[in-house]
Formats: sequence, C-alpha cells, structure tokens
Amino acid sequence: MRSFSLLTALVLGLSAFVRAKSSQGDDVLVILDPKLNRDDYSLFFGGLEKDGYSLTFRAPKDVKPKIIKDDVPSFSHVILFTPETKGYASDITPQSLIHLLSLSTNLLITSSPKQTLLTALSSEFSLIPAPPSSPLLSHFPARSDPPTLLPIPVPDPIDPKSEYADHPLAIPPICSPHTKAVWYEGTAWALGNNPLLFPILRAPKESFVSDASGDEGAEGVVDAAEKGGEGLWAGSSLAVAAGFQTREGARVVWVGGVEVFSDRLAAKEIAPGVPSGNTRFTRDIAAWAFQESLVLRISHISHHLASSPPLVGSNTTNLPTQYTTNDKLTYTAHISIYNPSSSTWTPHVSLPSPQMAFTMLDPHILTTLSHSPSHAGTYTTTFRAPDRHGVFKFVLDYRRKGWTWLKSEEKVAVVPPRHDGYPRFLSAAWPYYAGAVSTSVGFVLFVVVWLSGEGRETRKKAE
Amino acid sequence: MPPKAPTRPATRSPITSLLKAYSEQTPDRLKFIDAFLVFLMLSGVAQFLYCILVTNYPFNAFLAGFSSNVGQFVLTASLRSQVNPQNRTEFKDVSPERAFADFALGSIVLHFFVFNFLG
Repeated sequence: MRSFSLLTALVLGLSAFVRAKSSQGDDVLVILDPKLNRDDYSLFFGGLEKDGYSLTFRAPKDVKPKIIKDDVPSFSHVILFTPETKGYASDITPQSLIHLLSLSTNLLITSSPKQTLLTALSSEFSLIPAPPSSPLLSHFPARSDPPTLLPIPVPDPIDPKSEYADHPLAIPPICSPHTKAVWYEGTAWALGNNPLLFPILRAPKESFVSDASGDEGAEGVVDAAEKGGEGLWAGSSLAVAAGFQTREGARVVWVGGVEVFSDRLAAKEIAPGVPSGNTRFTRDIAAWAFQESLVLRISHISHHLASSPPLVGSNTTNLPTQYTTNDKLTYTAHISIYNPSSSTWTPHVSLPSPQMAFTMLDPHILTTLSHSPSHAGTYTTTFRAPDRHGVFKFVLDYRRKGWTWLKSEEKVAVVPPRHDGYPRFLSAAWPYYAGAVSTSVGFVLFVVVWLSGEGRETRKKAE
Repeated sequence: MPPKAPTRPATRSPITSLLKAYSEQTPDRLKFIDAFLVFLMLSGVAQFLYCILVTNYPFNAFLAGFSSNVGQFVLTASLRSQVNPQNRTEFKDVSPERAFADFALGSIVLHFFVFNFLG
C-alpha cells in the first residue's frame, strides 16, 4: 500500500514535471505573512498555478513544511511575502536562505520600508537599503493618489526609443516588450558594485526616498540634494526591483514592496482606460526568478581539424585529444535556450558575441564565435593552433547579467609534428637538391670519362 | 729621336707564367680532375651564398647539398694527389687503379648518405 502510494506520487510528480513551466521544477513555497490576505494576491498566485506551479503556503512562524530537510531543499522556488515580518520559525534565517541559494533554490523576496531581518539580508546582496521607514515617493506625474503610490515605466527591451535602450547590458530583457507602467508602493535600494547584481526596475527620475509623508520634509531633501553623496536617495540610480544570480546559477529577485503583486494595483488604471502592467510585470519577474526566461545551456561542443569534418553522430566522448602545432582547428558550440511555453530546449540563434579562448595558462587565442545560419544554435570558429606545444583548453565562458552563465572547458594536447610529420621537398630547397644531384651526375660523368681515358692511354702505350 | 718600338718584356708576369707552366707541364688527367674540382667548388660556393642570402630552411637539405660538394671535393683532391706522377714516391703501395677504386667506393658511400639526408 505504501509503495503504491509512493508510485502514485511519483507518477503525479512526473506528470506535473512535464507540465512545468520552469526548467528546474514547479514546487513553490510561499511564505505569507498572516497580516496579508492571500486573496488580495489571487491574480499573481492564480497566474502561477495556471502555468503549472504547485504552490504551498506557510506562515513565517509555522514549523512545517521545512524549507530544507536533511540538507535537501524541499522546494524548487521560495517566495517570501513577508515584508514586515519580525519573527520567523527557526528554520528561516538569513543563513538558511543563503544556504538555499547554494542548493540551487530560487528566491523571490519582497521587502518594505520597515527594518526587518530581510533588510539586513539585502545588504548581503550588495543592495544598499534606504533609511528605515522611508518609502519611495514622487509628486510626478500629477495625480490624485498619495505620493507614495507612484507609476513606474517598465524598461522596454525592444523599443529603441526607450530611455534604457542605450544600455543593453544594464538591464537584461527580463520584462516583456510593451509592458505598461506599473503601480508601485514600497522602498528602493541603491545598488552596490557587485557584478552579480543588476536592476530590473529602476525608480523614476523624479522620485526620492523620504520619511516625510507630506511635503513638510522637503527642506531636508533639498539639503541632502545639495550635500550629495550618501544623503541623497533620489532618482533613477535607485532600483525598486533588482535581480541577483549566484555563481551556481540560482536566482534571487528583490522587490521593494509587496503591493506591486496585489490585485488592487493590478486592476488600477495607469491611464484612463489602460490597465496597469502589474500582472504582466510580476509574472515576468517570477518567470525570470523561477528559471523560465533567459535560461541557456550548452547542448554540446565539438572540435576537429578544419580539413577533416567529424563523422556524423560523433559526440563528446570521441573528440580528438591531440592536435599538432599550427593545425587549423574548428570549434563548435551548440547553445540552447529554454522555451517555457513548450518546456523544451530550442536552439538559441541570437547570442550576442560569444567568445572562445584557447588557453594554456594565458589565452593564446581569443576569438568570437559566429552563428552559422545553416545550423540554428551552432556557434563556430576556425583558427590556427599556436606554434606552441602543451596542454591547451578550449574555454567558453559566457557571462551576461540576467542570463544563465555558460561555461565549458575541453582539454586537448597540442604536440609538435612527429618525425615524419614535417613538410618535405620544399620549393625553397631546390638549389640544394640541384647541388646534390649535379654532384652525383658529375661524379658519374667523371668516372665514365676517366675509365674511357684510361682505355685510350693503355691503347696508346700498346701502340 | 723617335721612340723605340716597345720590346717584349724580358720577364712575364707571375700569373701568366704560372698558367703557362700549368698548361704545359700538367698531364691531361690532372687537368681533368682540376676541372671537376673547380666545378665542385663553384657549386659549393653557390649553395653557401644561397644559404646565407636567401634561406637556410630546410637546413638538412643545405647540409646535404653542401657536404656532398665538400666530400666529393675532398675525395677528388685525394685522388689527384695519389695519381699525380710526381707523388709516386709518396704512394709506393698505392697504384693509380687502387686509388681510383678507393675514390669510386668512397663517393658512392658519400652519395648514399647525402640522398638519405636530403629530403
């Protein structure tokens, strides 16, 4: 009976995996503060469940289910809707959340202007939290809402007129194109210079962080602006949503307020007759955090002599292990991107400038791989091996903010030519060949003439 | 007084006298050997100049071509000293035929090594 139920669970789990949107798994733990009503976020949670995620809810002080059991994470992804929670059960600590990341679990964390355990945790990710109890506010554009509830335009990855289009590396294309502006309520961070961290949504230019609910604190803001430096918390250098991808590939999304996920703001119009982009934006950042979008992998790599294409069906196990100096080599990488709509890996055709290094301690060759149009997802280059023997590595190390890092190292030996591997009978050596041959011919003629002369001499003597 | 008709110089220049003595006193056989030696020397000089001025790559081909000239030159020069009638007293035990056989055998061995080394 027990084994039967286990089998059922396994089959159910497998079928769930097949429907899963994420490339990693579809178990999501939602740690929801008791003060927040689950029904207020039904659009966000419903959207996740519709896409195949199974959500498990838990209050911060509940003991079960544990996030890590026997050093194995119980869920593939964890959502923390605990922006103002002060107390947690013993298994949720900053250390355990960091440990979750090292176990390749993804996190979606919401924060708030209140100072909590998560505020301290955010600085571990090089996010610099604003002073406590100071929400982000803006008086522009003129509207009837309180200044702490502000519309923020979402960066468009495609529209070249977007103000973020000049910095393609600054914000990866996490948000869908043409997403409407989102309503936002919460705090903002300044970003440290950690290379793993990047902004997903920047604060508007006119916004600033202040502890004054009305305009009576305006003097303080003006003072801070004049002093500059740390006193100033304003403008688009602040981020209200930031992404962080660990070196192992786990993803964290930090959002400065939980209200951006709420049904209330999703239904609120951004302009007369135009619904806000909250639903789409929150789904997009969840898709990135849960390894749906911008997920790459190296399907396989191959390398061979440029003069002899590999056999069909050759795989990584029978790649050549040895080349000769100055050989022409061809290196090929097949790179796939995860397609969440069909849960399959499809060839990725638009990887910007991947590079390959042929290294022995230093990169002797560093070259750009070009996409071959005849084979989708195939990036290839041909180069001459250096005139240097030793153990070399083909290194493909592709790191872009927001994208899965790609890393591949293939070791090959580069040897000098064998004793019979050198070129022979070179045109430069023809004078030497002619010299040797003429000497031999001269010797033969000499012998012939000498012997015939001897014959004549003896005859002369005889006469 | 009209100038005297130029008389033949009483003594010739040393080079012309040397050439004359050589062409008159040297046997034809030795002249023939000398011609071969000159050819070998010119060929060796040409290869050496090519090596210095153009390229010494492949070096093994240069070594083979140049040493074939040098070796052949040495063998031919020793043949010349052995068959020279003036040296008869030096080489009492070596008849000209024997000297020639030595020369031929040595040359064949030399060329065997040269062509092995050439390619």
